[in-house]
Amino acid sequence: MEKLKNNTFIKKVGFNRVVLFLVLLLMYGIFAILSPTFLSYNRILSALNYAYFLGFLALGVTFVIATGGIDFSIGPVMFCAALISGYLLTQNGLPLVLCLLISILVGTLFGCLNGYLVAYWNLPSFITSMASMMLAKGIGSVFTKTQSVSWPQAVQENGEFRKLVKIMTSDGTQIPTGLLVLIIASIICAIILNKTKAGRYILCIGSNKEAVRLSGVNVKKWEMLAYVICGTLAGIAAIIFVGAYSTVQPGLGDTYNNEAIAGCVMGGTAMSGGTASIGGTFLGVLIIALLQEGILAMGFQKDWQYVITGLIVLVAVYANVRSHRRKN
Amino acid sequence: MEKNVKKGNAFTNNPIVKMIGTQKIVVLGVIILLAAFFSVLSPAFRQYSTVVSIFDYSYYVSLMAVGVTFALITGGVDLSIGTGTIAAGLVGGYVVGHYDLPVAVGMLVCIAFGLFLGIFNAVTVAILGLPPFIATLGSMMVARGLGSIMAGASSITWPQAGTPNGWFRSIFKINVGGKMIPIGFLIVIAVVIIMSIVLNKTRPGRYIIAIGSNKEATRLSGINVVKWHSLAYLISGFFTGLAAIAYAATFQAVVPGTGAGLELDAIAGAIIGGTSMTGGAGTVGGTLLGVFVMSLLKTGLPFIGLQANWQQIITGIVLLIAVFVDILKNAKK
Amino acid sequence: MGEVILTMKGIDKSFPGVHALDHVDLEVRKGEVHALMGENGAGKSTLMKVLTGIYKKDEGTITYEGKDVEFTSPKEAQEAGVMIVHQELNMLSHLTVAQNIFIGREKMSGKLINDASMNKAAKELFAKLNIEIDPTEQMGNLTVGKQQMCEIAKAISHESKVLVFDEPTAALTESEIEELFKIIRDLREKQLGIVYISHRMDEIKMITDRVTVMRDGGYVGTLDTETSTKEDIINMMVGRVIYEEPKTKSNVPADAPVVLEVKNLNAGKMVKDVSFQLHKGEILGFSGLMGAGRTETARAIFGADPIDSGEIIIGGKTVHIKSPADAVANGIGYLSEDRKRFGIAVEKTVAENSTMASLNHFMKGIFIDKKKEAQVAEKYVEQLKTKTPSVEQLVVNLSGGNQQKVVIAKWLVRDCEILIFDEPTRGIDVGAKSEIYQLMNELVKMGKSIIMISSEMTEILRMSDRVIVMCEGRKTGEMAIEEVSQEAIMHCATKREG
Repeated sequence: MEKLKNNTFIKKVGFNRVVLFLVLLLMYGIFAILSPTFLSYNRILSALNYAYFLGFLALGVTFVIATGGIDFSIGPVMFCAALISGYLLTQNGLPLVLCLLISILVGTLFGCLNGYLVAYWNLPSFITSMASMMLAKGIGSVFTKTQSVSWPQAVQENGEFRKLVKIMTSDGTQIPTGLLVLIIASIICAIILNKTKAGRYILCIGSNKEAVRLSGVNVKKWEMLAYVICGTLAGIAAIIFVGAYSTVQPGLGDTYNNEAIAGCVMGGTAMSGGTASIGGTFLGVLIIALLQEGILAMGFQKDWQYVITGLIVLVAVYANVRSHRRKN
Repeated sequence: MEKNVKKGNAFTNNPIVKMIGTQKIVVLGVIILLAAFFSVLSPAFRQYSTVVSIFDYSYYVSLMAVGVTFALITGGVDLSIGTGTIAAGLVGGYVVGHYDLPVAVGMLVCIAFGLFLGIFNAVTVAILGLPPFIATLGSMMVARGLGSIMAGASSITWPQAGTPNGWFRSIFKINVGGKMIPIGFLIVIAVVIIMSIVLNKTRPGRYIIAIGSNKEATRLSGINVVKWHSLAYLISGFFTGLAAIAYAATFQAVVPGTGAGLELDAIAGAIIGGTSMTGGAGTVGGTLLGVFVMSLLKTGLPFIGLQANWQQIITGIVLLIAVFVDILKNAKK
Repeated sequence: MGEVILTMKGIDKSFPGVHALDHVDLEVRKGEVHALMGENGAGKSTLMKVLTGIYKKDEGTITYEGKDVEFTSPKEAQEAGVMIVHQELNMLSHLTVAQNIFIGREKMSGKLINDASMNKAAKELFAKLNIEIDPTEQMGNLTVGKQQMCEIAKAISHESKVLVFDEPTAALTESEIEELFKIIRDLREKQLGIVYISHRMDEIKMITDRVTVMRDGGYVGTLDTETSTKEDIINMMVGRVIYEEPKTKSNVPADAPVVLEVKNLNAGKMVKDVSFQLHKGEILGFSGLMGAGRTETARAIFGADPIDSGEIIIGGKTVHIKSPADAVANGIGYLSEDRKRFGIAVEKTVAENSTMASLNHFMKGIFIDKKKEAQVAEKYVEQLKTKTPSVEQLVVNLSGGNQQKVVIAKWLVRDCEILIFDEPTRGIDVGAKSEIYQLMNELVKMGKSIIMISSEMTEILRMSDRVIVMCEGRKTGEMAIEEVSQEAIMHCATKREG
């Protein structure tokens, strides 16, 4: 085991990530054996669809968790953004590009709200983000007068944005462009987290906020930025979501928080802050998405998804807390 | 001699105010103001039926809130109470409907489910030492799924009033000559009194406060902190079960997949009532008052034209204000 | 003095990297107040933690009331009658005084707690001790002094036979100290064995019967207080052999410019009207007892805590420092006394910690130039002789002394002209200590100016060019190194108000 951990390749990639990758393969294998339909291209695409938007949410929340905080509002914020921009697109006929920008803007504004309250007013992040979760649900619902919103299909007018998720060629082949988009986004996030000042400060704040402050750094600004990044990514996730699923209903979205957080924590980002892995988050999200699809493919009731995600959150956090305790 | 007690102002030093607690008096004032506000703006609000619906809403939320007050006082939180209440209501109702059992059995099942959830949280938080908010978030999801799975993913209707098994509905509301009398209020008051005594006059309550105040000092005083920390979550779970009964008795049906968000009404109520997010401080009576603020808002807002979809926004804003006041209060100390 | 009630013999205790207790002896008799003295880090508190079962000893025997004992928890020690009144108070601020005193052994009537009878019992207890505290008041509302009295009352209510006071007067006012001494004398009458840990020489003479001195985790000796002089005790504490002779004359030229001037600084309760000047190339020692307001002064100058009034002049210009960012921009660096909390991010690498205060100089466009970062970090690892396998090592894996060097590197990378070193050698072993001293000397030679806060007399005498002494938030003395003596410092450090 120790020897394995010290292998240069594994060390470079990270032991945790190698394990996650093997888990992913193993899960896929098990599902494929138990349910032959699982090998079909459509199943894979369907699992990927789930991974795209969840991936954006998880990437965002990785930044927040890296500061030692949490954001429980991302799912409803994503829905709120999709509802408002979708409503403006379909009911008010605003141009598509503007609506996509509005979606991102809505997410960013929620990120600003959370970040401001947490960083400048010192409110606890979990309760603050739960409150803004309620705000997001309510605002989405009020804005659309409690109606669901259906974004245009790929072939319809204004449906081009779906190419971000999937391209249908003339011979009917589906190309999962969303995977490419998510990979690019992950790479950008990894660069921000590991190569820029913002990422450095975000991680250091998670490790020891007071030490960073006493180094003459404006910690409030950088802590808030993590929430803003998270909100912006939730706004982008909204576009990806409707690109895959078309319809959004008001008052929902909170289960996605938990799945995104589960993916992030599974990926090796410490709940207490200070260490984070974008690659881990990416793999964690794929596992969660595969699991959701697998549960459905095996003919289980959808509710098992909640139970299993809940248990995964607990196990991942437990492993996380324990490995952290051992280090100190 | 120098002064050994920080001085307050004349109001806070008044013996009556001191006995009841400043925050509770302020909250009481808020309740009266809110009631006056709605009454002035909406004639429709000034009806007996409004009072009944305010009470109806308050039963299950106040039971959840009383339970979660104990978790909050330890410095933790219990997010599983919302979906837990619905899940317990689903499972209990399913047992009654599907196996044709007396409704009392269903009620016991509710409590058992709540306790199960409490044990689950006690293990993850008090024994394994996970952060309470994330641990109870996990159990919140588990409860949400389990309730629906066990009840077969369909709405559950508990026996209606008037049917032989419908007697349980009159625990909270009786029909006297066509007029609904909200007697559930008496039950809630009784529960609040009992739990106040448990919190302030018994060892378990004392140790739960002590853990929230300074866990390490409590441990060094030779107190079994794991045991009493666990108990707080068991109490929260038990009251989740009771809340399920109140919910079932108040509403026609229990719908799977709902319940997320209810916990925030309860938590907001507790914090408004003076329970501190940082632990160590809180009263059960304050929690009840806080729940009434929430109840008044939720019932009253539609009367001034803000429909149900505004309620979540209101919950969010009230929660933020309550937490902010709590932080300010602690900062002053 | 009666018979021996407690004997600790050959107590040895090691932590990873530190030999905290090296075969220490202590003997306490009934009806005696036994002082336990030594500088910070001498091992006094560790010894007491071993006694009460918070730490497990590696070697040695503890005999209590004629029997060999080994307490495994404070609770067990408490039940046997051995109790500490802690330096950091273990109070439950949300509960009342009486509830605190009886926590864990509440008076019950049936299943319910009888608060009235607890209040009554607490009142009687206070009456016996001549303390005036309302048992129904919330603990958090009392002054620190009163809280301490409650802790003592709690210890006494346990019917303790051996009572340990760990720096009990650190946070007390003059009148409170008098009250405390009355109580302690009273307890002595009642034949309790009392261990009294303190730094304050005058108190030792005033209240104790014997004194045991510790140094660097070792046992130095035991004296009768009455027949020994202050100098005897100080000599034992400090040791005849000092690592290097104290400085005899200042290295600062008389015409060295003033780089920092602080005028009438007020900040919170612990900084009152503090004024001083710091010259270029000077090491300005700040001496005083614990809680004298030195750290608070440093934090106020650094912008870590808000300033109420006063002026800070750097290089002839008045500056407004509202946050550490302002201070750093003005060329001040602060090395905190509590490294782990305020100095380093432990799960980050040596390189990342080194550049934390000056990341702007390591940017290539929007990216961090990690190569340059590593090079600079390596340069300082070499210069400061930091022992680390590489700059990619996580700081958590370094020893205390090397962690300290990483914090110093952080400020050197930033090229700060004014450095505030708050207890720079606390918790650092002897070898690393002299390296840090050497480093400080090199820094001032390079033209940097250093404010050094230290509770170690030898450190002050060895390093400073000038010494400022503080007491209760005020500057009570300022002397050139040529005229400094331990007695003079002690005198100023205990110059209390009124």
